[in-house]
Amino acid sequence: METLLSLSDVSWRHKVRDFSTWKPWAKRDGPGIYSVDLDIKSGTIVGLIGPNGAGKSTLMRAICGLYDCEGFSKSCEERRTQIGYMPEQVRWEGRVSVRHALESIAMMRDSEVDIDGIIQTVGLKSKSEHILDNLSQGMRQRLSLACALIGNPRILVMDEPLNGLDPLAQRAFSNLLENLAKKGVAIVISSHQVSDLEALVDNVALLHRGQLLIEGSLNEVRKNLGLEDDSGIVEMICSVTGINPEDITLDLSDDGILPLKKFGGEEE
Amino acid sequence: MSAVRLSIHIMKERLIAGRMMVIWPLLAIFILFSSWGLSDPKANLPASIVIDSAYDVMFVSTAFIIFSATLGAVLISFDGVSRDRLSGVLEIKLSQPIERPTFARALLLGHWGAIFLPVMILNLVSLAIIWHRLGELPNLEELFIHTLGTALLLFWYTTIQLLASSWAKDLGSSVAIGLGVWMIFTLLWLVLTTVVAGLSGVGVEDLNSKDYVRIDAIMDLFSPNGVYHHLLEMPLSDVDRGMSPALISLAAILWSIIPAYLFQRRIERLHP
Repeated sequence: METLLSLSDVSWRHKVRDFSTWKPWAKRDGPGIYSVDLDIKSGTIVGLIGPNGAGKSTLMRAICGLYDCEGFSKSCEERRTQIGYMPEQVRWEGRVSVRHALESIAMMRDSEVDIDGIIQTVGLKSKSEHILDNLSQGMRQRLSLACALIGNPRILVMDEPLNGLDPLAQRAFSNLLENLAKKGVAIVISSHQVSDLEALVDNVALLHRGQLLIEGSLNEVRKNLGLEDDSGIVEMICSVTGINPEDITLDLSDDGILPLKKFGGEEE
Repeated sequence: MSAVRLSIHIMKERLIAGRMMVIWPLLAIFILFSSWGLSDPKANLPASIVIDSAYDVMFVSTAFIIFSATLGAVLISFDGVSRDRLSGVLEIKLSQPIERPTFARALLLGHWGAIFLPVMILNLVSLAIIWHRLGELPNLEELFIHTLGTALLLFWYTTIQLLASSWAKDLGSSVAIGLGVWMIFTLLWLVLTTVVAGLSGVGVEDLNSKDYVRIDAIMDLFSPNGVYHHLLEMPLSDVDRGMSPALISLAAILWSIIPAYLFQRRIERLHP
C-alpha cells in the first residue's frame, strides 16, 4: 500500500496565557503533541484513540495543515489540497441553505465539485435547501462530512465523527468509510472509545499526553501489551505507562510534564 | 480561486442574515429622512449651516451616514470571524487549500459589500429625493467623491471590525471591541480633540478659532470619520481647514492599507 503521508518527529504545543506574569500578552507552552511518527497509507483506516486531552484533535489539525509544524512528507499546501477534514461537532448555523454552505467551501478549492453528488452521498438530498439553523445535530454531522468529501480527497481526517449520529446513521457512516477505503482513500478517525472503532479500523494509534504510545492493528496492540481481547483504552494506557488502574483520577494531564519519554512515562 | 467570487458568496450570506432586518430600517430612516429634511428649502438648521446646493444636502446628511452606516458595518462584521471560530466552521474553512491572504480579502470584500450595497441603494433613492425637492443634482465630480468617500469609510470600519473579530475569542469581546472603536471615533473623538487642543495650549472656548480648526483638522486625519469629512470637503470651495489634498489622500490610503494588512496577517497566522 502506498504511503500517502508520513509524519516524522512531529511536535506542536499550543500557546496558552501565562498567569505567572503581570503581562496580559505573555504566553507559555501549553499542551500539544510530541515527537509523533506515523505513516498514513492508502486504503487503510487508522483509529486515533486516547483519553480527553491526549492530543488527538491537535494531531488531526496538524495533519490537515492548520498548524505550521514540521516533520511531514508533504507541505501544508499539498496536505490541504489532498486532505478532507471533518472537525468534531461543528455547529452549522445561519439562514443560508445546506447547498449554499457547501458551495462556499467548494469555492475554496480549485477543482470542480459535484455538489449534488456529495449531497446525495451523505443523505442530505431532501434537506439541501433547508437553512442551517433548522438542521439537527445529526444533519450537521452529515454536512461536515460532505465538506470533508469535497474535492475527492486522498486522505480523510475525521475527529469523533460518530458523535451525534443515531445507530442507523452510524452504520451507514461506517459503510461509507469502508467503501472509500476500498477505493484507496486513507482515513484517520478519532475516538475516545475503542469499541466505537473496533469493527471499522485496520490500525489503531494510542495517544496519551501528546505522545503516540503504540501503533498497530488492535489485535497486535493488545497482544504486545499482554491484554485481553476486549480490553479498552484504560487498560492499554495503564499497560504502556505502568500506571495502576486504581490510581487513576479525574486530573487532566499537566502541561508542564509534557514531553514524556516514550513508553517510560518519565519526565525528560 | 478568486477572492471576488467567494466574497460575493459571503456578501449574499450576510445580506440575508437576520440582523439585516434591523440594519435596513436603521439606514433608511437616517439616510432617506435626512435627505428629505435637509432638502426642504424652509429647513432651519443649527450652527449657521447654510444649504445652497444638492451637494450641500449630501454633505450635511453624511453626519447621519456616519452614525448609521458605520454602525451597520459594525453590526454586520462583528462576528465575521469569531462566529465561525466558535462554531467550528472556521476549522473547515482554514483546512481548505485556499491561500490565507485570498481568504482574508474575500472576507473583507464580502462584509464590506454587504453594507455598501444597501447604503448605495439608499443613497440613490436620496438623490432622487434631493432632485424632487430641489430640482437639481450634484455634479459628477461631487457624486464620485461622495461615493468613494462612503465606500472607503465603510471599508475602514469593516476592516477594523473584522480585525477585532479575529482577535476575540468570544462574541461578547468582539461586540465590545467593535462598539468601543465605533464610539471612540463617532462620539468621543470631539472630546479627544478638545483634550489634545487644551494640552497643546490652544483655547477651547472658541471652536471656530483658527488654531482650534487647525488642531481639529490634524486630529481628523487619525480618525476614519475625520478623513471621510476631509474627503467630502474637497469639492467645497467655502471650506478650507488647511489640509492639502495630498495629505488627505495619503491618510485615506494609509487607513485603507494598514488595517487591511493587519487583518491579512492575522488570518495568515490564525489557529482555529
